[in-house]
Amino acid sequence: MKNLMSKKNKVIAFLASTSLVTMTMVALPSAARAADPSCTDLVVITQCVGATTDGAGYVVQVPAKFTGTLFLFSHGYRYPVDIPAGIPLVGGYKVVSSPQPAPGGGAAQITEVATAMLGKGYAVAGSGFVTQGWNADSGLKTNVELIGILKKRFPKITKVVAWGESLGGFITQGLAEKYPTLIDAAAPLCMAAGSVEAELTMGGDALWGLKTFFDPTLVGGNYAAGAAGYAQAMGDIVKVLTIAGTLQAAIAANPTAPAWPATSKVPDSIKAIPSRSALVLVGVMSGIPTQSAHFDNSTGPGDPTATAYVSYASAISPALGTLENIAQAAILGVLATYDVELQAGGAIFDNTKTDYAARLGSDLYTYGSALSGLDAASGMLAYLSPLNPAAPRAVGNPNAMAKMRTLLTHTGKINVPTIAMGATADPITPAGNVQWLADRAAEQLTASRAAAKAAYLTSGSYTKPASNFMTIWQKTPAKYSKYTATGSPDTTPAGANGTGHCNTTTKQYLAIADLAYAAANTGQLVVGGKLLTTLRKAGGLSYDPGFKASLLKFYN
Amino acid sequence: MIGSKRKGLGVITTAAIATSALLISAIPAHAEVGVSSSEIKLGITVPQTGPAATGYNKVAPAMKAYFAYVNANGGVNGRKINLIIKDDKYIPQEAINMTNELILKDKVMAIVGALGTANNLAVASKVQIASRGVPSLFVNTGYSGFADKKKFPTTFALFPSYAMEAKAIAAYLKENLPTAKTCVLLQNDDFGADAAAGFKTGGVTFTETVKYVSGTQSSATGQTWIGKFATAKCEVVVLFGVGTANAIALGVAAAGGYKPQWILGSVGSDVTTIKATLNNPQATALMNGAIGASWAPDSADLTDEYAKQFREINTTYNAGAVFDNNVMVGMSEGLLIVQALRAAGTNPTRKSLIAAIEKKGSTFASAGYSALGYSATSHVGQTGFWFGKYNLAGELKSVDGKYTMYTTDSAAGPVVKTEQKRLPMPAKGLPSN
Repeated sequence: MKNLMSKKNKVIAFLASTSLVTMTMVALPSAARAADPSCTDLVVITQCVGATTDGAGYVVQVPAKFTGTLFLFSHGYRYPVDIPAGIPLVGGYKVVSSPQPAPGGGAAQITEVATAMLGKGYAVAGSGFVTQGWNADSGLKTNVELIGILKKRFPKITKVVAWGESLGGFITQGLAEKYPTLIDAAAPLCMAAGSVEAELTMGGDALWGLKTFFDPTLVGGNYAAGAAGYAQAMGDIVKVLTIAGTLQAAIAANPTAPAWPATSKVPDSIKAIPSRSALVLVGVMSGIPTQSAHFDNSTGPGDPTATAYVSYASAISPALGTLENIAQAAILGVLATYDVELQAGGAIFDNTKTDYAARLGSDLYTYGSALSGLDAASGMLAYLSPLNPAAPRAVGNPNAMAKMRTLLTHTGKINVPTIAMGATADPITPAGNVQWLADRAAEQLTASRAAAKAAYLTSGSYTKPASNFMTIWQKTPAKYSKYTATGSPDTTPAGANGTGHCNTTTKQYLAIADLAYAAANTGQLVVGGKLLTTLRKAGGLSYDPGFKASLLKFYN
Repeated sequence: MIGSKRKGLGVITTAAIATSALLISAIPAHAEVGVSSSEIKLGITVPQTGPAATGYNKVAPAMKAYFAYVNANGGVNGRKINLIIKDDKYIPQEAINMTNELILKDKVMAIVGALGTANNLAVASKVQIASRGVPSLFVNTGYSGFADKKKFPTTFALFPSYAMEAKAIAAYLKENLPTAKTCVLLQNDDFGADAAAGFKTGGVTFTETVKYVSGTQSSATGQTWIGKFATAKCEVVVLFGVGTANAIALGVAAAGGYKPQWILGSVGSDVTTIKATLNNPQATALMNGAIGASWAPDSADLTDEYAKQFREINTTYNAGAVFDNNVMVGMSEGLLIVQALRAAGTNPTRKSLIAAIEKKGSTFASAGYSALGYSATSHVGQTGFWFGKYNLAGELKSVDGKYTMYTTDSAAGPVVKTEQKRLPMPAKGLPSN
């Protein structure tokens, strides 16, 4: 097994190039004691650690030259279970609940961001939360208590900015909706939004598609109870990576007509279609971006005027981009599904009524080349039909699904100035998450402006309501794929801006922090030249109110 | 904040309305994006390079040449039109990138003549031109979906749809070749699907249907297609592919001595493309005797006032480009755009441009032989085709000398034969609407 994994690791080398989830945090001791933090006065900051009554450890750092604004950070999804060392990419992971006071893609960046924040006079704090996995409800409760503790310990705190990444963004928005008086501004970053069901549907669709086309032994959900279910989930991770590795090797060997994995049981009529097209279909119908860290969908190797270049850009690059993304999405899909099933008490994914052709919509034409034409796409969609006994649909447990729906859900109400940041090609929390929130904000603004106009007709006084919400986008560059001298894709460079999950530079974090600080202290969003200057200096950020990302497929 | 002293209830409403009007009129008139006192900036995305560029790469320069001619004659209400051309290589993501550049960086007022169904769909979905309010005028595709105003409220079609063309061909076949064993070549995407739907509605049953995936056309695949047609003993073959595919089919068939009655769809019948694809200046001979459908006059028709005027403009303003159907398309679109801009008022905005086409677009002069269908509820452009036969030079000559039009819609409506009817070319090709 180990040797096999070792070989596989070489095959799927590029799959490991981006972090799966935000799971690195500052290694600070967590105190078991509730309420009173244990503080140390250092040279330029005061640092305290402690635990809320639920036992969640936290850390807070307050600079000597304190502006009075505290940034309360909520970390992203951390795997709720240990992962055996033999599993590629994520093996050897141990559940950790250490507090994380600032965002970042690793310990070094977290420290860098926190240090810079302190240098600006902002206090930083964050909990590790008492449980891991999908912990929005308990995380919210912890944060509410923590704000009280910190305000009591540091009376100079006059403003609180809540911010968080990924699941932490979900918690941040939940805090802003349910406890708006506790905070003065919010900054959900690369967020999950709406509901856990919306988020997990993407993973469920992707896993079901991979299972149906490439390996029917993939369990994909409805995991057994106890150790057997854990083994199934771990096995699924290996299978997902095996599928990805096999497809990658097949595409490398024959990009035009890559072979199907030996584990696939689809009929020959489907196998006559290039396997890469089935992969793209699974990705697109699930809502996983086709642009990834290293595949821009707009370039190919060699002469830009050659047919091969255009074919690669239109047909091969989307497949490789999907592959790079879907491995990450599917692994998280396995673990989050397993996690939420445990919380809900049964299967929480149900696609018995899903119309995957409708999910595709006009993407059927946009990705026509990548899907190998309309007939091929139609054939594959027909294979996915609920009427095909060879492609059994996943059936959810109604009670478990009902219980899942009792977990924290957003209304989308914007109560405090909110600056959301999203990446257009995020494979874990796609841009449709933040777009969902942006749509709710736009509805509220429209309603409040209509109300103001109506009020004007009776009062004669008119104040145009200002927007309390903005989305800052990390957009992908027009071209960023690199190719070696022999024409192979070069996956060694860092992932491009706008790709990967929470792939954010320190400058970008600090720009959002500055905007949130200003919003918290003025009650208004920064707009105009000051906003644009802040974004320009950070690099890779744009404010484009005309841009609308596609919503998650869950909403189709 | 604008406040007013509260007055008696009796006058509140009147005062409110008056003040409301004041509010509106007090808003300073701001210049529209892409419109200055001296210039109107427009953008187009087309394959200027790459395998799909052959022929299509002449559309944008031709449009630009027409605008240069208009600019040399005073522009549009004193403003020069500046057309920014972006090469999308016929790659959907590149079309998205280039359109983003046009809108966000170049800040054009409108997108014009964007080419390709997949690219336009990708742009509509990912760039969100509709929610941005950016007009997309006279798209270079016959996909019937773009005439759906609800889905694409800022997009206007020009070409009759592929479905309309298929229905017209079906009607022609029933009239003229009712008993022939008929086959068809289709592209396996929206283009082919739209046509297939039209043929079905038109009641045609094909003995053999061959489909190819866009970008896979080659001599080898062409051999396969022709082999299938020959095996099926097709007497009539409708080539409803793009120019490169049709050219390959004609070339392979000629080499193999297979001579059915060809019917060429309008998309893939451009002489320049066929000659370039086969790398043979004499390749037009392969078209000799083929039946063709067209919504506009053949570019070689020197008796047509539009073709004649555009040819003259091309000579002076288009850097010696060979005048062909692609040049005709580019200039025809340019002519419509100028009329639309003029109709949009002396200070055109994106909104007034869209409104102008909806209100007055059906009265615009157009090279096409059928009436334009623009209205408040329709973004359909041309609606009909005439049939002719290609000669040795690849020129399409009317079979009846009258340019009888087969007009229809993209749905289940009947095909109606009418005499061609259109407005005259504006004097010197310069709109004065």
